[in-house]
Amino acid sequence: MKALRVAGVSINTIFKHKMRAFLIILAIVVGIATLTVIVALTQGMNKQIMKQIQNFGPDAIVIHSGGGKIRGPSTASEANLTRKDISAIENMDGVKLVTSFQVALDMPVKRGNKFTTSWVWGVEPNWKDAWRRGASKGEFITDSDNEQLSKVCIIGQSAAKELFGDVNPIGENILIENVSFQVVGILEKRGLSPIGTDFDNLILIPFTTASRRLMNQPLYISTARVIVRDPLRVEVVAKQIKEALRESHRLAATEEDDFRLSTPGEISEMVKSTSKTLELFLWLVAVISPFVGGIVLMNIMLMAVSERKREIGLRRAVGAKKKHIVVQFLAESIMLTFSGGVIGVSMGIIIAFLIKLSGKPISITWQSFAIAFLFSTFIGLFFGIYPAKKAAALDPATAISQK
Amino acid sequence: MIEFKEITKSFTSGTVRTDVLKGLTFKVGKGEFAAIMAPSGTGKTTLLNILGCLMKASSGSYFFEGIDIETLNDDQLSDIRNKRMGFVFQTFNLLERTSALDNVLLPLIYADNYPVDAKQRATKLLESVGLKERINYKPSELSGGQQQRVAIARALINNPSIILADEPTGNLDSESSKEVMNIFKTLHGQGRTIVVVTHDINIARNARRTIFLKDGRVEKTEVIS
Repeated sequence: MKALRVAGVSINTIFKHKMRAFLIILAIVVGIATLTVIVALTQGMNKQIMKQIQNFGPDAIVIHSGGGKIRGPSTASEANLTRKDISAIENMDGVKLVTSFQVALDMPVKRGNKFTTSWVWGVEPNWKDAWRRGASKGEFITDSDNEQLSKVCIIGQSAAKELFGDVNPIGENILIENVSFQVVGILEKRGLSPIGTDFDNLILIPFTTASRRLMNQPLYISTARVIVRDPLRVEVVAKQIKEALRESHRLAATEEDDFRLSTPGEISEMVKSTSKTLELFLWLVAVISPFVGGIVLMNIMLMAVSERKREIGLRRAVGAKKKHIVVQFLAESIMLTFSGGVIGVSMGIIIAFLIKLSGKPISITWQSFAIAFLFSTFIGLFFGIYPAKKAAALDPATAISQK
Repeated sequence: MIEFKEITKSFTSGTVRTDVLKGLTFKVGKGEFAAIMAPSGTGKTTLLNILGCLMKASSGSYFFEGIDIETLNDDQLSDIRNKRMGFVFQTFNLLERTSALDNVLLPLIYADNYPVDAKQRATKLLESVGLKERINYKPSELSGGQQQRVAIARALINNPSIILADEPTGNLDSESSKEVMNIFKTLHGQGRTIVVVTHDINIARNARRTIFLKDGRVEKTEVIS
């Protein structure tokens, strides 16, 4: 009860020194608002990354022709996977399905006077099962399209918007590298790939048409996607594929792989390491800002102790113990930083919403509130304890005689 | 009630040592109204600080109501000040921007038990010092004499064993000084123990006994019958 009475003194003091309280709260508001926005931003980024990893598929393995480290998909020009390779993988234990495709990046695409560049993939009908992505309108590539080397295509929504605007593209023709293709369907929306590429700026054509008419690669396959039966066994299957391909490509033990395997684990590592530096920087800013507020608090509270020596001396004279003075000043600091925290979080959320409106990834969760409130209280404690102890350590006889 | 035995107090600044009190010995009995009289700058405030447990002596012994003050720790000294002593200072020492009523209630914040009738008690005390109409006034809205009366009410709120006053009329005009000393006389008449430290012989004459200090020692004691 006595502690509550002493804390009550702190409330009175705050109201009696409004300008001082305002300045402290302002410093904390800036810091906590920054912290809230950054927490929301990093959580939004992480959520987006998780979504991108999900887009890749937890049960998928992508085999790229050519060795080296992970980058974009391999193109038809560097294709070295054979039909025999694909059949061997199809027959492996734990493999659900395999789809082969030929890839060309940034191919020029025209419709009338409209021009864009798109990824063009030559695909088999089971591509839609392997990517869990079919036509949202119209039809997908069929076996007969592949048999007849048809010049038909399924168009991604970004490419469709670029070339057709609001016009329905189905039934219309486009030119891919000056070869005319009829649009038979629109691809389901997918968003960004794990490496940040627009998965909707994609045009799918029959595999055989791509190999023989567009990309001049009739013998080899540039890329394949494998779906495993049990997502928990994806790394085990990837290891089997690697061994099988090394054997079939007759690679000596000292030779490096002439193919690359992308697994969900690998993709996740790659994306996380890319965002790690940015996240570290953001957290640094997030932590520094409230600390600056804390330093402002400490400065103002030290000035307050200096100005209020006589009051402290009087309180000691009428019976306040050192701990009562500590509680009074610390409660004052914590109340001010907590108030700053509440206002800061509210402002942070408003700013976060404004940023969200501009399309940036923002995620506001209870953790944002918890971190901001805990941090503001911690700052009140951490930066308030020194002035509070200094006030309590004053000699009462000397303090009361201060002018 | 108060027993000072060979109390000394020295202050050291760098290599210079100043002996302010040089072996003070005196007693103040329960219910007594005593004045301690000494010229300015001769350690009156130091003496009052030791009497009020705000400062410890360099040597000697101080017994207050039979308790050896020199053996108490900081928290125990705070308890003694809170429960058994009331202070009246020359400069009033009221909290600014705080009403007379809240100033009077100040010591109760640190009391073990906050009385349920605290506000009534404080109001009654302010009435008894003639400030019935001023209980919600802030110090800046009160005259010097009125501020000192608030300070006296504050000194009485915990019903202390003793009231210690340091030059209580030092900042007041003669009329206000008279009013304040009359309050002390009334309180003494009610059986309270009062010790006033002053350099003014006219103020000291209000007490029943005056202890004269000279060169940090008791020079003489005069009793007014």
